[in-house]
Amino acid sequence: MTVYEIQHWLLTTLGSVEIVKPIMTSKWGWPICESLHFVGLSLLIGTIGMFDMRLLGVAKRIPISALHRLIPWGIGGYVVNIITGSMFLVTAPDQYLYNSAFHLKMLFMAVAGLNVLTFYSAVFRKVNVLGAGADAPLAAKWIGGASLFLWTGIIIFGRLLTFYRPFACGKGGPTGFLATCL
Amino acid sequence: MDPFLLWLESTALSVWIRESINVFAFPMILAYHTIGMGFVAGLSAAVDLRILGAARRVPLLELKRFLPATWVAFWLNAVSGVLLLIAYPTKALTNPVFYVKLTCIGFAVAILRSIAKSIFQNPNLDLGEIPRRGKWLAGASLFFWAGAIFAGRLLAYTYTRLSQGGTQ
Repeated sequence: MTVYEIQHWLLTTLGSVEIVKPIMTSKWGWPICESLHFVGLSLLIGTIGMFDMRLLGVAKRIPISALHRLIPWGIGGYVVNIITGSMFLVTAPDQYLYNSAFHLKMLFMAVAGLNVLTFYSAVFRKVNVLGAGADAPLAAKWIGGASLFLWTGIIIFGRLLTFYRPFACGKGGPTGFLATCL
Repeated sequence: MDPFLLWLESTALSVWIRESINVFAFPMILAYHTIGMGFVAGLSAAVDLRILGAARRVPLLELKRFLPATWVAFWLNAVSGVLLLIAYPTKALTNPVFYVKLTCIGFAVAILRSIAKSIFQNPNLDLGEIPRRGKWLAGASLFFWAGAIFAGRLLAYTYTRLSQGGTQ
């Protein structure tokens, strides 16, 4: 299967999801989902970003395990955004599947996912027992810094989606991974 | 036609932000505005959630260490917001939703300052219960940040005049 064939298969498969289309094509459906996507984004970057900053050394007198109790709120924001994001994707799959900003956003989200897995498998048990005033180990700092970098990148590519929509390429324009047309 | 808006829209800066195909013109200014939004509303919301009872073992007083980052995000958005306004002044200023957004931000920032002044400067707070007023402030802060985000996003769908030149 070529990249082009995979994209075409995704286009028809995602495009065949009809259930959310009545909501998303109504007057306020799409705008309200966008607003919720931005609220979810803020909740995620606020709580997870705060945790990352603590790993990097801000507010060391807060025990890491105590601040970790805010993470479920960030996961809540993430879930809101997966749901609303999927609703955009199945309503207008062509606007995303052929969009290089979307490709980079998905790539960064995959790496951010691996970063989370690395954190919980390699360093969580070590940092969770640290008390007030303790500095996180270097590995945890790298993971926290990577998290801030990746989520900031995800916001940037998400916001740039609008400007890399495939119609800018014109009919029969380039497709495939990271095709550029601007 | 408003002569001031007409002049503003004709300045080199306004034209460049609006019309340049450079990704660092309108697209990246909008991206900075979104990053700032995430951090200023998100970090404020995290503090509000703690005040309202989440993550009780977090010493409230220490959350003030995140205030500098919150203010940096706020100023990033003040600057990027003014640049976006310079690009499309008529679009924003003729839309009532824009004033709803500014009002929400005004209240949210006033509450943030109030929390910074009262709650973060009371060393006895971590020993006892958070006063009722603090909880009301935290709840109102969440409401106004969400309101600012909704109003801001809906600007793209509610404007009636894009520029002095035309209706759309």
